[in-house]
Amino acid sequence: MTGSSDAELIAAVLDGDIDAFGGLVRRHQDTCARFAVRMLGSRVDADDVLQSAFMRAFRGLRSCKDPDHFGGWLYQIVVNECRTYASRQRRREQRFPSAAVAVESAVAPGSEEEVDLDVGGHIERALSTLPADQREAFLLKHVEEMTYEEMAEITGVSVSALKMRVKRACDALRGLLDGVYHG
Amino acid sequence: MTRFAVCSMGFIMVDIFGSKDRAEDDAFAERIASALRMPERAHPSFEKRLMDKVRAEGATLYPEGATTQKSWWRRERVLRVSPIAGLALAAGISAIVALSTIAIGSRISLRKNATVAASPSPPAKDTVQLVRFVFVDSHASSVALVGDFNEWTKGATELKLSGAPGVWAVSVPLPAGRHEYAFIVNGKRWVADPLAVKSSDEFGTESSVIRVAPLGKSET
Repeated sequence: MTGSSDAELIAAVLDGDIDAFGGLVRRHQDTCARFAVRMLGSRVDADDVLQSAFMRAFRGLRSCKDPDHFGGWLYQIVVNECRTYASRQRRREQRFPSAAVAVESAVAPGSEEEVDLDVGGHIERALSTLPADQREAFLLKHVEEMTYEEMAEITGVSVSALKMRVKRACDALRGLLDGVYHG
Repeated sequence: MTRFAVCSMGFIMVDIFGSKDRAEDDAFAERIASALRMPERAHPSFEKRLMDKVRAEGATLYPEGATTQKSWWRRERVLRVSPIAGLALAAGISAIVALSTIAIGSRISLRKNATVAASPSPPAKDTVQLVRFVFVDSHASSVALVGDFNEWTKGATELKLSGAPGVWAVSVPLPAGRHEYAFIVNGKRWVADPLAVKSSDEFGTESSVIRVAPLGKSET
């Protein structure tokens, strides 16, 4: 079934071929993993969220109105699961390092060599200090390279509000990473 | 630079980012994002763990040949509604219409022995309850219901004009338990039910909460 379209795989599942869902998992798991890991700042948490998101997708497969666009529908579930998980985590504990600590580590690297070696780490730490709505908007826009209209469809947030969130995220990241990226 | 404007319809944002600002932002964002676009691989055991759970539930959810049998939504289910409660709700709606844009997520409460859809056997354990959602907005051109019960899918559950001007309604079979929902007006505007318990996520988006009690127990 590896050459089957998403719609064909969904039809097979609905007709009782449960293993066909594995084809959908293999096709979409890595794309979803990137967003979830960046959004939650943890591969372990992202794994939990993706397990939950794929199960929700499986249970609600009949409500996928446009099987040819299963990927977008699934992405919507993943985004919602990340939101729910992040909200729960925030209530239980301070999930990410405090902004002050992250700013310090982001803008005061020990040397240029360290900066070159761990730019990705500085960026991820800076990203983790953003409010969740800004982090989500930045990731969807610049990492997943969606249009604002696509983002609005997935998040249920207006285009103008999303633009504001992305703008604020950029401003915040620029401040946090001033010592890493000059200018 | 961002500017806000307030008008009679509420709070809207006017997008007036300068093109220079936007170009600088885009260039900066591209440098950051390129590092974040590195692929992430799901854990090697991810698919196996997931498919174990999928197979455990799959036979019940999607029995073999199901799509060639009677569709799931056409199978007989026990739906219980109280005409008295329905009339009371209709009276309430009439009063609320005057208030213009008001959302109501109301349940028609249940009454034993008032079975609408006949069932040849006693209520099965998958019995669902019929919940009627009503939304009043004389200016709306479309109203949809989204919630955890339809995977928050816009367009999956459309409300229809019920006869009275501006009164939109839909009945949804729901299992017992806690459900979150909201209305989407004209395909864009997200509206939580002002008369229901609110649930707010980290993003400040408000939804409403409805609790469906198991059959035979009082509702909350």
